[in-house]
Amino acid sequence: MAAMTAAGWGERAVGLLESARTAGEVPSKLKQLRQLKAVLLHRDPPLLPEFVTRLTELQSERASPIRKFLAEMIGDIGSKHIELLPEMVPCLIAFLKDETPAVARQAITTGTSLFGYVLEKLVIQGLYSSEIDDSTKSSWAWMLKFKDAVLHIAVQSGSDGVRLLAVKFVETLVLLYTPDPYISADPPQEPVYGLGFNISWLRGGHPSLNVGELAMEASQSLGLLLDHLRSPQVKSLSNSIIIVLIKSLSAIATKRPSFYGRILPVLLGLDPAISIVKAVEVPGAHHALKTAFVACLECTHSSAEPWRARLVEALKAINDSELSGQATNKNSGGVSISNEESLPLKDDNSSLQACDEASSDLVRKRPVAELNNDLLQDDCLSVKRIRQSTHTAQDLPNEPLQVTADQESNSVPVVGSVSSRDKSSGPVQQLVAMFGALVAQGEKAAGSLEILISSISSDLLAEVVMANMQHLPPTCPKTDKDDVASETGYPSCLDSSVLSSIQLSPLISDIHSLSSLSPLLASLLNIQPSMSHDVAKSHQSSEEKVMDTVETTLLSSSGGDGGAMMPVTLPASVSPFPVVTENGSSVVSLSLNSATEERVIPGVDSTSSIDEIQESHDASHCSNPEVNDSSQDHATSLGSLVPSNILSTCSMATDVSETQSTGVGIFDTSQASSAASLVTSCQCVLPKMMILDVNLTDEAKDQLQKVAFVRILDAYKQVAISGGLDARCSLLAHLGIEFPLELDSWGLLQKHVLSDYMDHEGHELTLRILYRLYRETEQDQDFLSSRTAISIYETFLLAVAESLRDTFPATDKSLGRLLAEVPYLSEGVLKLLEGLCCPDRSEKLEKDFQNGDRVTQGLSAVWNLILLRPSSRARCLLVALQSAVHSAEEVRMKAIRLVANKLFPMPGVSQKIEEFAHDKLHSVIDDVPAIEDMDTDEATSGLQEDSKLGKPSSSRGQQSDNALKSSTHLDQNVMSSLISEAQRCMSLYFALCTKKHSLLREIFTIYKNISKAAKEAVHRQIPILVRTVGSSPELLAIISDPPTGSEDLLMKVLHTLTDGIVPSQDLISSVKKLYHSRMKDADVLIPVLPFLTKDEIFPIFPHLVNLPIENFQGALSRVLQGSPKTGPCLTPAEVLIAIHGIDPVKDGIPLKKVIDACSACFEQRKVFTQQVLAKVLNQLVEQIPLPLLFMRTVLQAIGIFPSLVDFVMEILLRLISKQIWKYPKLWVGFLKCVTQTMPQSFSVVLQLPAAQLENALNKHPVLRPPLVEHASQPNIRSSLPRSTQVVLGLVQDLQANSQGQTSQSQAADTGSSTADVATELTQESSAVS
Amino acid sequence: MGAKLRYAMVCSSNQNRSMEAHALLKRHGFDVSSYGTGAHVKLPGPSLREPNVYDFGTPYKSMHDELRRKDPDLYKRNGILPMLKRNLGVKNAPQRWQDNAADGCFDVVVTFEEKVFNIVIEDLSNRKQVLIRSVLIINLEVKDNHEEAATGGKLTLELCQEIESADCWEDAIDDIVAAFERQHKRKLLYTISFY
Repeated sequence: MAAMTAAGWGERAVGLLESARTAGEVPSKLKQLRQLKAVLLHRDPPLLPEFVTRLTELQSERASPIRKFLAEMIGDIGSKHIELLPEMVPCLIAFLKDETPAVARQAITTGTSLFGYVLEKLVIQGLYSSEIDDSTKSSWAWMLKFKDAVLHIAVQSGSDGVRLLAVKFVETLVLLYTPDPYISADPPQEPVYGLGFNISWLRGGHPSLNVGELAMEASQSLGLLLDHLRSPQVKSLSNSIIIVLIKSLSAIATKRPSFYGRILPVLLGLDPAISIVKAVEVPGAHHALKTAFVACLECTHSSAEPWRARLVEALKAINDSELSGQATNKNSGGVSISNEESLPLKDDNSSLQACDEASSDLVRKRPVAELNNDLLQDDCLSVKRIRQSTHTAQDLPNEPLQVTADQESNSVPVVGSVSSRDKSSGPVQQLVAMFGALVAQGEKAAGSLEILISSISSDLLAEVVMANMQHLPPTCPKTDKDDVASETGYPSCLDSSVLSSIQLSPLISDIHSLSSLSPLLASLLNIQPSMSHDVAKSHQSSEEKVMDTVETTLLSSSGGDGGAMMPVTLPASVSPFPVVTENGSSVVSLSLNSATEERVIPGVDSTSSIDEIQESHDASHCSNPEVNDSSQDHATSLGSLVPSNILSTCSMATDVSETQSTGVGIFDTSQASSAASLVTSCQCVLPKMMILDVNLTDEAKDQLQKVAFVRILDAYKQVAISGGLDARCSLLAHLGIEFPLELDSWGLLQKHVLSDYMDHEGHELTLRILYRLYRETEQDQDFLSSRTAISIYETFLLAVAESLRDTFPATDKSLGRLLAEVPYLSEGVLKLLEGLCCPDRSEKLEKDFQNGDRVTQGLSAVWNLILLRPSSRARCLLVALQSAVHSAEEVRMKAIRLVANKLFPMPGVSQKIEEFAHDKLHSVIDDVPAIEDMDTDEATSGLQEDSKLGKPSSSRGQQSDNALKSSTHLDQNVMSSLISEAQRCMSLYFALCTKKHSLLREIFTIYKNISKAAKEAVHRQIPILVRTVGSSPELLAIISDPPTGSEDLLMKVLHTLTDGIVPSQDLISSVKKLYHSRMKDADVLIPVLPFLTKDEIFPIFPHLVNLPIENFQGALSRVLQGSPKTGPCLTPAEVLIAIHGIDPVKDGIPLKKVIDACSACFEQRKVFTQQVLAKVLNQLVEQIPLPLLFMRTVLQAIGIFPSLVDFVMEILLRLISKQIWKYPKLWVGFLKCVTQTMPQSFSVVLQLPAAQLENALNKHPVLRPPLVEHASQPNIRSSLPRSTQVVLGLVQDLQANSQGQTSQSQAADTGSSTADVATELTQESSAVS
Repeated sequence: MGAKLRYAMVCSSNQNRSMEAHALLKRHGFDVSSYGTGAHVKLPGPSLREPNVYDFGTPYKSMHDELRRKDPDLYKRNGILPMLKRNLGVKNAPQRWQDNAADGCFDVVVTFEEKVFNIVIEDLSNRKQVLIRSVLIINLEVKDNHEEAATGGKLTLELCQEIESADCWEDAIDDIVAAFERQHKRKLLYTISFY
C-alpha cells in the first residue's frame, strides 16, 4: 500500500466513489465512503479538488445516513482545505432543509465549526497582511450565506433537534463576534492558528471585517434569541428549546458580561412567566433557569455586579425557602480563583458598592459607608481612627443601648467587612449582607429577620454563622490590600464584634456548646491555618514580625499575670492588630476584650505604649517556651472544653473586676459589654489553641476527642446530682451521633447509661439516643448512614436491654418501660424477651426460682408491649403464646394466666389467641403418638380406663385397664412424658375454655381422635375446667347433644359436675334429655340419680339393674344415699321391692341381672337389715301375682338373718293361704324353704292341704321322718285333720311307710340344703328366661 | 435512523444505582456506560463513620475480595458483596464521570440524584464545546439502597427504550418526559448540554 503511487490512489478513490454510488446497501456504501475519505484526506490530498464536486453530487443520495456522512465529511475536508469550501458549502446549505433532521443537524454542526475556522483564518490573515486571499474571501462569503440560512432556521419553527443546534450556532456567532474580556485584547505577535482569537484584535483595523458591524450583528442575533424568550412567543416553544435558549443566553452572559444588561432582564422576566405557565410540569426549564442564575451570580465581571441583588432575589423566588445547596457549594469552590483574576480590574470599592446595592435596604446608608471610606483613606488616619473608635468605645459603656440601636455605625461596617474580607462572594455572603441589613433596622425588622432565618436551610444558616464568626476579633481584617485592610477592617472589626456578640449571642452560645464537638474543632483546624496563611501571604515580613511581637508580648505579659486561661485568650483577640501597630498607633486595646483594653487605654494617652510592648517583647523571648508549654497544657485540657470554658469565663470575670478596681473609668459600668466580651473571648479560645496544636497526630486527636467525651460524660454525672439533666439529655444523644464512630462513643455512652441507670436518668437518655438514631435511620439519606444507624440502634438497644436484665432484679420495671417506649423493637430485643418468657430447660434447672420471676418480668413486659405497641402486637403475642405452651409447667401456667385472663379478653387479639390454641389442641392428634397396640385396642373398644380415678369400671373397662397396665408396665416413662406433652399443648385451650365456653365443644369433638396419653391428660384437666365453668349453657348443650365418641369424657364431666354439689335443674334435665334422646345407657343417669324423684327413678330402675354390676352398685348407693337436701330418694325396702317388680320378660332384663341386683343388695347388710327385709317380704307377699324371685329372696333372707325364721314362718303360712302350690316356680322355692327351715317349718307344712303335703313329701322325702315324728306328738296329732294324718301315715300302714321314707331322706339332705335351693333356682330361672 | 444512541448512567459512587441501570440496559442491548461523580468510591463499612473508601479505578473484584476477607457476614447481609459480584460481571472497575473525556460523546446521560445531575451539567459546561453535539441529561431521583436501585433501574430502562425508539429525541423528549411522569408519578429533571 505504501508503495502505491499517486495515480494508484486516484484510481482507488475513483473506484471507491463508484462503488459507493452503486452499492445497494447503506452500510456498504458508508464503508466505501469512509475509505474514500481516508484516501482523500490522508493518502493523497491533491486529489481532493477533483473529487469535491463529485462528492457533492452525493447530496441527492436517497439514504439519509449517506447524506449525513457527507455533511460530516465536508466538515473534515473543509477544516483542512478552506479553499474548497465554496464548492461544498452550497451542499451544506441544501442539507439544512433536508427532510431528515439528523442530516440537517450534522450540517449545522459542521457549519458551526467551519464558520469558526474560516473566521479565525480571516481575522488572522487580515491582522498580519493587508490582503486577504481570494479563496478565503469567497469561503467567508459562503459561510456568511450559510449563517443567514441557519439564522433563518433558528427563528422558524421546525424540528426541535435542528433548532437546538441553530440556537447553538447563534450562540457561537455572538461569542465569535464580540470581544472576549477574558482574553488579551491585543493580538499576538505571530499569527497562530487554531488557538482561538479575540475579535477585539481587529480594533486596529481589518481589510474586510469591521468590529462595529460585527458587534451590531452579534447584538441583532442576540436579540433574535432574546425575542424568543419574551412572552408571548415563549409559550409556543418546547421545553427543550427553552432550556437550550436559557443555557445559551446564560453562557453568553457569563462569557460576555457586557450583555448582562440585555440578557438578564429577559431571563429574570422569564421566571414568573415560566413559573406561572409551565413550572408545574416542567422542572427542567426551571432548573435550567436556576442554574443560569447561579452561573450568572458566579460571574465576577464588573458588569455583573449590579445584577447580583436581583439574581439573589430571583433565586430566592425560584427556590423560595432555600437557596439550593449546590449553588452554595459551587460558589465556595471555583469562584475565588476567578475572583482573584478579575479583581485587579476594579477597585475594591466596587465590590463594596455592589454589596451595598445587593442589600437594597442599605442604600440609604451608603453615605456613611463612603464617609467611613473617606475617613479611612485619609492620611492621618490613625489619629482620626483612634478618635472615632475610642469614641465608639467610650459610647459603648455609657450608652450600651445606643450601640445596639445605632444602626449606621453597626451595619455599614458589617457589610464593608463582608465584602472586603471575603473573597468568595457567594449567596452566603449575600445572605450575611441581608442579615446585616435587617439587623440594622433594629427591632422593627426582627420579624423579617426571623422569617429569613426560618426560611433558609439549616446548612446555609450554619454557613452564615460560620461566615459571621470571621467577624469576630480573632480573625478580623485580612485583605489583599493592607491599607484597605487596616482602614475598613479595624472599625468593622470592632463593630461587628459588638454587633455579633450582642445580636448573635444566643447563636454564639449555641455554637459555643456545639464547638465542643469534635467535627467543628476539626473544621476550625482547617480554617485556622489557611487564615494565617493568608495573612502571612498578604503582609510584609516585617509586619509579621510585629505581629509576632504583639502576640508574644501579650502572651507573656498576661501569662505572667497568672490567669490560667489568659495566654490562650488574649493572643486570639489581639491577632488583628499587627497592622495597627505598623501604622504607628497603639490602639491595641479596642478589640473589646476588656482585659486588653485595660492594658491599652493608657497607651492612648501615653506614647510609651509601643516601648512597653517592645520591652515586653524582649522579655517574651525567654518566656516563649513556657507559654507554649502552658498552652499545650491547655490544649490537652481541651479534652474537657466545657469545664475549661467555664474556667476561662471565670478568669475573664475576675479580670473584669480587676479592671474595674483599677479604676479605668470608662469600664466602670460596663457590665453589658463585658458580658458580651466574655462570650467573644470564650469564642476566641478555640482557634488560638488550635493554632498552637495544629500538628497533632491523628491518634492524639482521637485521644483528645475521646477524653473530651469522657469529660462531658463525667460532667453529666455531676449535673445529674444537681438536677436539670432532662434538657441536656438530647444534647448528649446528639453528641453521640456527631462523634466519630471509631472512637466508640457508643460504648462510652452505653457505659454511662448503665453505670447508674436510675440516677443518671438512663432511661431518658437511652430513649433520646435511640430516637436520635432512629431519626438517622428514617431520614434514609443514603445507603451508608441509614444502614449503619440501624445496626447501631439495634446493638445499643440490645446492650442496654441485656444489661438491664442482668443487673436489675426481676421485679424491676425498667426493662419493660424501656421496651415500651423505644422507637421500635428490633429482632434482637424480641429474642431477648423470648428468652425471658421461654427459658431453656437447662437454664431452668440451673436457677429455677429466679427464672420464675424472670418469666413474670418478661411476660409483664410482653403484656405492656401488646397494649402499647400495636405494630409489635403480633410479634409479642407470639412470644406470649410460645411461652403458654412452654414445656415447664411453671412457665406455662404464668403465661397462660396472662394470655387467658388479660390478653384473651382484648378484642384485637382474641381471635389470634384462639386460633393458636386451637392449632395446638389439634396438634395433639398428630404429635402425641399412641403407644403401639393400645391405640387399636382403644379404637375398637372405644373405652377408657378409669382405675386411677377410683371410678367404678365396667367389665370392658377392666379389660382395657389390664391392657393399660401392660402398656404402662412396658414404658411408663414414655407414657408420662406423652401425657405431659399433651398437657403442654392443651393447657392453653383449656384455659381459654373457661373464658369462652363455646370452645368446650371442640375438646369433646377431638376427644375420640386423640391418643391414650392425650385422653389421660384431658381427664386430668377436665375436672378443673368443668368445676370452673360449672353447668353453663354451652356445657349443657354439649351434655344434651355430645359429639360421638366423647361418651367417656362426658361421664367424667357429669361426675365432676355432680361431685359434692347439687346439680342444677338444667343439668338434670339435660342429662335426662340426653338419656332419652341419644344414649339409652343408664350410666349417664347415675351421677344425677340422687337428685331424681321416686317417680323418675322407678321407670328407669330396670335399666339400672341391667347395668354391669359395678355400675349398678354405684347407682344403688347413690339412690340409697340421695341428695343432702332431699334425703334418700328410695328406701332400701323400696329398692328391693323395685327390683322384685322387674319383669324380666316385659322389661327385657335378663333374670340373672335381677338376681345379681338382689344379691348386691343383700351384700349390704347394714343397709338391708333384718327389719328392712321383713318389711319387704311383708309387702311382697301381698303382691299379686307374687314376684318371681320372692321365694328366693325369702330363702336368702333366712340365710342371712336366721333370726327371721319365725317371721318367715308367718309368711309361709300366708303363702299357704294364697295357695302357693298354684305357682309352680314359687312352690319349688316354698318347699325348699320349708325343708331348709325344719323343724320350725313343720307347723307350716302341716297346714298344707293333704294333697300338697303329699306332694311336698314326695318331692322332699327328707321331710317325712322328722315331720312324722313331730306330728306324732299327741298334742299336735290331735289337731291334725285325718287326711293329713293319712298322708303322714299316722293312720295305719300308710303312715308308717311314709314316715320311714321321710326320715331317711331328711338325714341325707340336711347338710346341703342351701346349695340345693341355689341350683334349683338356677334351673328355674333358666327355664323362665 | 438506525444509529444507536450512547447512554451513560451516573450516580455518585458508580456502585449501586448506576450499576444496576448499567447492568439492566446492557442486558437489553443498549450501548451503555456508567460513572460516578464522587471524589471516591464509598461503600458502607462496619459503622457510620467508617465507610470503605476506594479510588475510582479500583476493580470491583478487589473490593469484593477485600470485603469478603474483612467481614463476610456483614457484607453479605447488607448486600454489598452481592452487589459487587453483580458489578464485576458488568465491568471491571468504577469510573469517574469527570475523567471520562476519552470515552467520547454520549447522547443520553441519566443521573440518579440531583446533586449528581448538577455536577454532570457543570462538568459538561466546563468542557470545551467544540463538537456542537447535543447531549440529553436526565435526572431520575433514586434513593441509594438496593431496593430503590432495582426499581430505578427498571424505570431507567423504560425511559431509555422510549428515547431510543424516538426518531429524534430532541423533538420527542418533552412528550417522553411528560408521559413518563404521568405513568410513573415520578418527577424527571432534564436538560440539554453540548459537547
